Amino acid sequence: MKRLGTCAVLAALMTTVAATAASAETIRIGATMRMISENGQKYGQMMQDEFDAINAAGGINGAEVELILLNDECKSDKGVANANRFVYQDNVHLVIGSTCSSVSLPIVDVTAQAEVPQIIPHSTNHEITQKGSEWVFRVPISARYYKGVMAKYVGENIGTNIAYVYASDAAAQADTEGLRDEMRQQFGVEPAYWGQTQEKEIDFRSHLLKIKTLDVDAVFIGALQEPMARFLVQSYEVGIPADVKRLANSSASNAPVPKLAGDAIKGVFFSAAYSDSDDRQIAQDFNQLMKERYDVDKVDHDFSQAWDLIRIVEIALNNAELELTDESLAADRAAIRDAIANVSDYQGLASGPISFCAESTPECRDGNRTPVLIEYLSGGEDFEVGILDRVTMPVDFGLE
Amino acid sequence: MDVVLQAPRNGIARLAAIHPVLPWIVAFVVLLPLPYLTTNNYQIYLINHIGVMIILATGLNIVKGYCGQVTVGHVAVYAIGAYTAAVLSVYFAMPFWITLPSAMIVSMLFGVLVGFPSFRLEGAYLALATLGFAQAVEVFIRVTDYLGSASGLGGIKAPVLFGFSFDTYQTYYYLMLPFVLFAIYFAFALLKSSTGRAFMAVREDPVSAAATGVNVRRYKLLAFVISAAYAGMAGALLAHMRPGYIHPNNFTIIEMVVVLLMVVLGGIGNIWGAIIGAILVTIIADLTRDLYHYQLLAFGLVIVGTVLFMPKGIGGLIDRYFVSRSFVAARDKTAERVRTQLDGDGEG
Amino acid sequence: MTEIIKVTGLCKSFGGVHAANNIDFSLQEGEVRGIIGPNGSGKSTFFNLLTGIYTPDEGTIIYDGHNIAGWEPHRIASHGIARTFQLLRMFTEMSVLDNLMIGCHCQVNYGALSAPFAPLTIAREEKVLREEMMDILQTIGLADYAHVTASEMSIGQRRLLALGRAIAMKPRILMLDEPAAGLSPVNVDNLMAIVMKLKDKYGLTLIIVEHILKVVMETCDRISVLDHGEKIAEGSPDEVRDDHAVIEAYLGKEMADDEVRQLLAS
Repeated sequence: MKRLGTCAVLAALMTTVAATAASAETIRIGATMRMISENGQKYGQMMQDEFDAINAAGGINGAEVELILLNDECKSDKGVANANRFVYQDNVHLVIGSTCSSVSLPIVDVTAQAEVPQIIPHSTNHEITQKGSEWVFRVPISARYYKGVMAKYVGENIGTNIAYVYASDAAAQADTEGLRDEMRQQFGVEPAYWGQTQEKEIDFRSHLLKIKTLDVDAVFIGALQEPMARFLVQSYEVGIPADVKRLANSSASNAPVPKLAGDAIKGVFFSAAYSDSDDRQIAQDFNQLMKERYDVDKVDHDFSQAWDLIRIVEIALNNAELELTDESLAADRAAIRDAIANVSDYQGLASGPISFCAESTPECRDGNRTPVLIEYLSGGEDFEVGILDRVTMPVDFGLE
Repeated sequence: MDVVLQAPRNGIARLAAIHPVLPWIVAFVVLLPLPYLTTNNYQIYLINHIGVMIILATGLNIVKGYCGQVTVGHVAVYAIGAYTAAVLSVYFAMPFWITLPSAMIVSMLFGVLVGFPSFRLEGAYLALATLGFAQAVEVFIRVTDYLGSASGLGGIKAPVLFGFSFDTYQTYYYLMLPFVLFAIYFAFALLKSSTGRAFMAVREDPVSAAATGVNVRRYKLLAFVISAAYAGMAGALLAHMRPGYIHPNNFTIIEMVVVLLMVVLGGIGNIWGAIIGAILVTIIADLTRDLYHYQLLAFGLVIVGTVLFMPKGIGGLIDRYFVSRSFVAARDKTAERVRTQLDGDGEG
Repeated sequence: MTEIIKVTGLCKSFGGVHAANNIDFSLQEGEVRGIIGPNGSGKSTFFNLLTGIYTPDEGTIIYDGHNIAGWEPHRIASHGIARTFQLLRMFTEMSVLDNLMIGCHCQVNYGALSAPFAPLTIAREEKVLREEMMDILQTIGLADYAHVTASEMSIGQRRLLALGRAIAMKPRILMLDEPAAGLSPVNVDNLMAIVMKLKDKYGLTLIIVEHILKVVMETCDRISVLDHGEKIAEGSPDEVRDDHAVIEAYLGKEMADDEVRQLLAS
């Protein structure tokens, strides 16, 4: 029985081997992403379609690109298995992945050990590029930039005298303390008011009335969607003037908030990497394309980042000198790494230029540092948003 | 059929007759060159994963297959083992040789906790109670910053022995192999002893088991604790494997279903069954990686199909082959004796 | 002869129904005792109380110097009181030999977790036990079927197996719950012959609950009669046969005594 089991393993392994004989003159790219949602499948499909289009137009310097697209379901073990398969079995030249930070984090170690370049489409966790791998590149904006962008904008454009109220919810509290700490760090100011509501409390007027008596530049509201809407409405009810800016944590970007809050949402803004209300021609064209090709109504930054990533990969591959033989695999991988590191001032869907460099530091590897601030222009069922500003963060922002 | 099934069985029996541990040493030697028979690291990575799954599935087989206790909490205990090892390694810089036993001990404590409901609950009700536990553990990890919450816990160090670091898949295989073989051997030795028979008696009929002197509660709890030790060992081995990163998503109900599939497909209450199941399911899941949309559906269908048409799984089929042979042999023997008796009577 | 078990004032009720009401009962070593009574008279309850499956509400069961009333079933079993079940309750997915090996669970000397650590010692002990069990199988005539799964056996073979499993426990008292149910008359005789053979071989004290009165009348030294949870009569088969209360219990007061006597005698 035991030997029978062993034989079964060996037989299965041999079959796998036979099925994956690598062919030369092909640039092999392995992509692992979360493709469990409808959108996930669509941006996976977009990646496939774009590489097909590159091949149809003659490939990269005559070489065909072969994309191996796998789903990791946002599970680290699956992602690690995919990455291992890419680097050791499929012998890819480049790994794309992943969507979830929890998957990208361990994959960075896999690609570093195997010495294969990895380019990240969606993950924002700041640690990904702080592991010191010279093989990893990130297209989306690192969380360390997002963390400081609101404080930077508020401090520079609105004022530093801010009142904070937040609901007793872990995420809301963390967001609120985050902004307070950033205001301290960047501008050396303390909160003008600091209030926490009790759990299940739905009347926030006592806090808001006190804030009304203070002469503040802005009110920050940290809460989940539903209480957030109440907060905003009540802030007008108690008579806090409209020229006091309302600030909100990330839950404000969720669709129910503008619907519930109505026009009280006006002027509230949040940060992202891309907005489909971007009026640049390139963005308008992209929205149009996604609508036509994949029937996507609201194009979010998962699409734009995947798109930018494909273009950056295309540029890098075109610039890299590749031999594409079995023996040159390691050299080709290094060449692709260096070619990506040389991508500088790429202007695409991202709000600012994307630049990489050779060192294995976060400064070099977090290529995109320009979040866009998206502001509500009106609330209700047909709420509208517009771009408030683009803020380019200092390259070393958020690093100790 | 005879040659394929009977020959290895006889061979093992002959080795075991010399010394019960001998077949395991032979197995160890036979399995030593396995990484060199693979063509790339990914396959070794898969083999290592199979190793973790074998330990996990064998543990589940003890409590579910042998003792008949339907638990869904196994994956939670697996998570507890992995996180215990991870915390000790990451925050306290403990070596693998301390984190692994600690993970097993902590898991066993939780095994007691999962086992207690089995005193009063049976079948689907016990499954529901343990499901609650599994969910609670997963959610707890997901919201606890100390455990990395939803970002996962990374930086778990590779095991080191006398300055030698098991930090590649290849070296890790050689760390894992003795653990896997010991885990299988332990299950074998235990389940062939009076303890294993007591587990089965509890599964077959608790009242009858008690009436024959088996302390039902004690053995139920023992089965839970031993299976928890297996889960803890599997968890620690998973945590320390490169890249040394664990995440609550690795310990969800879906993972539980996959382990259950291994045990059910391989054969409930059959040690080899769970091992064959772990190997088959891991390999098939990998070969069908591209069909991810249908994988879970297929897993579910295979479980239902196996339960309906092959209730004892693959291992059961093989067992069945031997058992029916011995039944036929026994019947013939009795018939033969009756005939000779009759003949004798006739002559006398 | 010495007294092996003494039950005093045993009571058990289920929601107002007295399934056992103040039962006194004692048994001599080596005796074969029959327990009879109409359906629902409390025979099974009495069995379950003695073997710990039910906990008595009141009363004492003195056995081997201990009051075993309220002990858990496995503890009573391990002290030498074995039983069979009317519905057999065999471990159907296990082999015949393993069914017996469970029986001798309490004779195992090694610790529950020691098997993987001392394989040689355990192999030796297991071998001894296995041989003992094969000996029992030999006696009950199932030795050829040792490695066959219990579910493959016929009902008659299973009745024997149930007996074998109880014997494997090396009991002092063996309690048989309707051992002959579902058997043909020939098989009943066979079975009872084997029971008596085992009794002599292993020096057992027997308690037999049986519906087939013939079996009880022929094999038992003394008979206790239960009705509505109370012991209404006790004595030798002949005494019980003529007891008026017994006849009433079985057939009601209206029935003619003669008919009943005939029925009981047949």
